[in-house]
Amino acid sequence: MNTKNILSTVIRETGVAYALFDHRLQLTGSDFTSLPWFLPQGCPAEAGDIWTLFPELIGSEPLVDSLLAKRKKRFVLEKINKLGPDDRLYYADLQFMAHSFQQPASRGVLVLIFDRTSQVAAEQQLQQQYYELQLLRSRLASQPGFLSNAILGASPAVQEVRAFIERIANHNTTVLLQGETGTGKSLVARVIHNLSPRSAKPFVEINCAAIPDTLMESELFGYKKGAFTNAQSDKKGLIEEANGGTLFLDEIGEMPLSLQAKLLTFLEQKAFRSLGSTDEKRVDVRLIAATNRDLGRAVADNDFRQDLFYRINVVSCTLPPLREMDDDVLLLAEHFIELLHFEVNEKVTGLSPSARAKLLSWHWPGNVRELRNVIERAMIFARRDKIEASDLLLSLTPAPGGGDDFTLPATGFSLEEHERKLLEQALQHCRGVQSAAAARLGLSLDTFRYRIKKYDLNPRDYS
Amino acid sequence: MNISVYSKKICMLGTFGAGKTSLVRRFVHGIFEEKYLSTIGVHLSHKALSDSLTGIQFNLIIWDLAHIEKFTAATRNYFRGAAAAIIVLDLTRESSFAEKQIRIKEFIESNPEAALVFAGNKTDLLDSHEQAESELHAFAARWQAPAVLTSAKTGENVDSLFELVVAAMPEAKKR
Ligand SMILES: Nc1nc2c(ncn2[C@@H]2O[C@H](COP(=O)(O)OP(=O)(O)OP(=O)(O)O)[C@@H](O)[C@H]2O)c(=O)[nH]1
Ligand SMILES: [Mg+2]
Repeated sequence: MNTKNILSTVIRETGVAYALFDHRLQLTGSDFTSLPWFLPQGCPAEAGDIWTLFPELIGSEPLVDSLLAKRKKRFVLEKINKLGPDDRLYYADLQFMAHSFQQPASRGVLVLIFDRTSQVAAEQQLQQQYYELQLLRSRLASQPGFLSNAILGASPAVQEVRAFIERIANHNTTVLLQGETGTGKSLVARVIHNLSPRSAKPFVEINCAAIPDTLMESELFGYKKGAFTNAQSDKKGLIEEANGGTLFLDEIGEMPLSLQAKLLTFLEQKAFRSLGSTDEKRVDVRLIAATNRDLGRAVADNDFRQDLFYRINVVSCTLPPLREMDDDVLLLAEHFIELLHFEVNEKVTGLSPSARAKLLSWHWPGNVRELRNVIERAMIFARRDKIEASDLLLSLTPAPGGGDDFTLPATGFSLEEHERKLLEQALQHCRGVQSAAAARLGLSLDTFRYRIKKYDLNPRDYS
Repeated sequence: MNISVYSKKICMLGTFGAGKTSLVRRFVHGIFEEKYLSTIGVHLSHKALSDSLTGIQFNLIIWDLAHIEKFTAATRNYFRGAAAAIIVLDLTRESSFAEKQIRIKEFIESNPEAALVFAGNKTDLLDSHEQAESELHAFAARWQAPAVLTSAKTGENVDSLFELVVAAMPEAKKR
């Protein structure tokens, strides 16, 4: 029986290659038939030294010496990438071993090369998805540079907003942001914070419409242990949490009148007292307030304190509704497709011409938030790589706020119970992806997080 | 005349997506890909470069490593015999400065004599360089290592980065 033939059959069948070097580290034998992509281009498999064939060893000369001296038996390098002649990436494990095949006294190095391409390719895909998502997330979450780009759009209306942000970010003044629901007031507030000298300090967001009146005071100002029955320990308020940074009061028009007075005092004196406490606390926060109500009218209707209105309306900016942003609706739609690509549907890469036309003709009562929801839903249902007009369900989009037609049943209604159920359902639908669940409920991520925390819901339970 | 060329192994370290592969590709092939293809294992490239001050020639063998999730014996083998590490930080992500993730300590343990050079990458995405620059230098100062702001996309300072590495080699320092 010819052992050489048996050996070469085994080698070919198992996807292995080998190279044998003598004590001068010159090649004396090899078989690369099953891994032709491994050899460096233009490098013959018949001659050469170990450093040319395996540059992986450069720097590890002492190691090669100890293999030759048989002080070390083997050395493994995993997942070495090689670009094949077909421009594909291949992967191999290299095993360097001491040997004395030629003569008992002689020494040399045997290199075994194992093809790992198919296993690693699967691993690569998984890792790719995971890292890519993380990369997108962290980009969006923290970066000032990215955030100022986050206010997308080329229309004059959007450019004005950007110019406004740049003008005021560095000043310490209170800012009032006005605009219809879904126009991105919270995003603008965050960008102002990130571009300001306070960017390294906290940005604390509170939605006055999301918190029951009775809780708002303790949320904002905190309380001292024993201030009321359930106050079992001291609790810091959000104003204090925001110390040194920015406090963003969304929907300030919904703040109860009683609290408006306390807020005004705080703004004027830069100091406050927690509930149940006699000590005055001094904090330094910049206030950004936002509202979709006409505050001037609210003042006239005695729904909003005039003095507070003057105090917060130092500089203000009205964010444009989507229907006044020209072609920006397409730009934003494409941005959302890119953003949701990995979370929702990897296949979808763009908009068909009919979809573009449909997006441009709609009046977008729910603005950017509505657009995002529409795109997300379209991506779930899209069957091709482009979103079609038929994937865009515009008429079904709920009116802003979702429940303008809702009337309180005569028998009453447990708001908390329903809130909890809606939060659970959204988490279920979105398999625990918080940003998606928040969007589904028309909430900002922060508000959403605040609420699930309140009900002790854990997104991981739904993933 | 006997001209010697020194072959040197250099490891690229840094968290995923920081731009290790992009910097190598820009340096070696002069190209940039917007699309992200995350590295698994290691990819080797070569490039010759001479030290501008001494004219000494180096053959750089650049090990473009994957993000190291778990440090194992296999990772230690990757580090073996390296003369330098380029530590790539993504200036647009504070999380890329997380020291533990970059495995600087493990690298130094494997190669106590190796040179370190820091690259603060993706400058093209920043509005202003000042803050990033001071953060980067403060970080690199902990290892008393040089640092440079780079962009694999525009090519800004990419050659300088590798020149810094070469200048830090003992052969270049001797003369
Ligand atoms: N704008 C910009 N993008 C960059 C730059 N460098 C890298 N990128 C992008 O960042 C992403 C990640 O770059 P890679 O070079 O693959 O990152 P890596 O560090 O090799 O990542 P892993 O292999 O996963 O560890 C890619 O989409 C690149 O196009 C840069 O200087 N500027
Ligand atoms: Mg890479």
